[in-house]
Amino acid sequence: MTTVLSIQNIHKIFGDLEVLKGIDVNVEKSETIVILGASGSGKSTLLRCINFMEVPTSGRIVLSGKTIGKETAGKVIYNEAELNALRTRVGMVFQHFNLFPHMTVRENVMEGPRTVLKCDKDECGRRASKYLDKVGLGWKSEAYPSQLSGGQQQRVAIARALAMEPDIMLFDEATSALDPELVGEVLETIKELADEGMTMLIVTHELGFAYTVADRVLFLSEGRILEQGTPAEVLVYPKQDGTKNFLKGHGSFRLPEPKLD
Amino acid sequence: MDYLWDFQSILNNKQLLLIGLQNTLILAVVCLVLGLAFGAIVGIARYSRNPILYWPSTAFVEVFRNTPVLVQIMWFFFAFPIISPFEINAFTAAALGLTLNTIAFSAEIYRAGIQSIHKGQWEAGKALGMSYTQQMSRVILPQSIRRMIPAFMNRAIELMKMTSLASVIAYGELMYQAKVVSTIEFNPIEMYTTVALIFFAIIFPFTLLVQRYEDKQREKG
Repeated sequence: MTTVLSIQNIHKIFGDLEVLKGIDVNVEKSETIVILGASGSGKSTLLRCINFMEVPTSGRIVLSGKTIGKETAGKVIYNEAELNALRTRVGMVFQHFNLFPHMTVRENVMEGPRTVLKCDKDECGRRASKYLDKVGLGWKSEAYPSQLSGGQQQRVAIARALAMEPDIMLFDEATSALDPELVGEVLETIKELADEGMTMLIVTHELGFAYTVADRVLFLSEGRILEQGTPAEVLVYPKQDGTKNFLKGHGSFRLPEPKLD
Repeated sequence: MDYLWDFQSILNNKQLLLIGLQNTLILAVVCLVLGLAFGAIVGIARYSRNPILYWPSTAFVEVFRNTPVLVQIMWFFFAFPIISPFEINAFTAAALGLTLNTIAFSAEIYRAGIQSIHKGQWEAGKALGMSYTQQMSRVILPQSIRRMIPAFMNRAIELMKMTSLASVIAYGELMYQAKVVSTIEFNPIEMYTTVALIFFAIIFPFTLLVQRYEDKQREKG
């Protein structure tokens, strides 16, 4: 197993609020990790620290063996070009899709390869077709985002992130803004990626999905990892009270009953 | 009132007035082009979090937004040459005053336009690895320019009207030429009526255009 991403002792402080209080996670290649936790537990912030949408207050991010930032006199300095290069290798899918409304679906997907990776025209076109087909929306290439349903928009956003051919994908509550009947198609797309061996970190409230798709589940509480393990360990046989209470709060979610032996 | 309108004296001075109109248009176009171009730079600086960009650009905008254009033009014509080594003619003084004023107002239009774009758009660009300049040029400006167009057109209309202020420093634009003609011909009623009609004829179509554009944008939602 090779470690794709190593998150080391990450702290994040906003003003006088410490949102992350020292998080360590190693992500292996092809691993799917689901991060759960109540709102305010820091799960989105953790995700956003990985691609430096938020700069961690302290700690280290190591991607494919390379530590991000330069340490001088105990302080880490990040340079913008290095962070941009890192972001090309970390795909992110947002809760509100954030597609570019002035571009067609196809242009949205080509934008990263064209503007950032400077791919030639053929390569941009090849990637757009490949990843739009993968999310099942090749037939909507010429449409504008406003003409798509929320679920379709989110699938385009996934294709846009995939077109960068990243080492790892981050999903930040990718289905939270969707109408219930549209959640399934997006989860299905994410699940296919997991089956194909994409390395992924997923923040979600869909516990059933977490159970089926995750190799490992992290439960965050007040900026710390309270509990982690296989889906069964965390979701079916939780050890910590925090995790148990959280799961109780999600009453509509039915997990397999613990086996009595 | 049994005033007898007589436009013959106007037609006799057609040539003078045409020169005036030409100068008016030159002044308006020069100030508009320079104002919009530099306004973009100042507007982006106004949006910046960098204090070296933010404070000077903010000071500039506030000074020129909060003083009358007439005062600015007079200042550049009468005061500026005394404190600086430059000779300055009427056109330059008027163009400076109007351009700087246009920069200040259009900078605010740019800033507001940029600010109206949801921050998720910046993030989406950033997450793809775009630099700040790429986010701005590929994602933010193409979307915000569309929202800025009516405001820019209104600005152009204001500018067109403000060119008449250049008459006070004897720049030969339409208003100044009219003043000259009316003192020669003693026909202020016909002369200033004609000037008003010329301005109206040029500006009114633009006003209609802005309204049409805004209605269209509203339909699109």
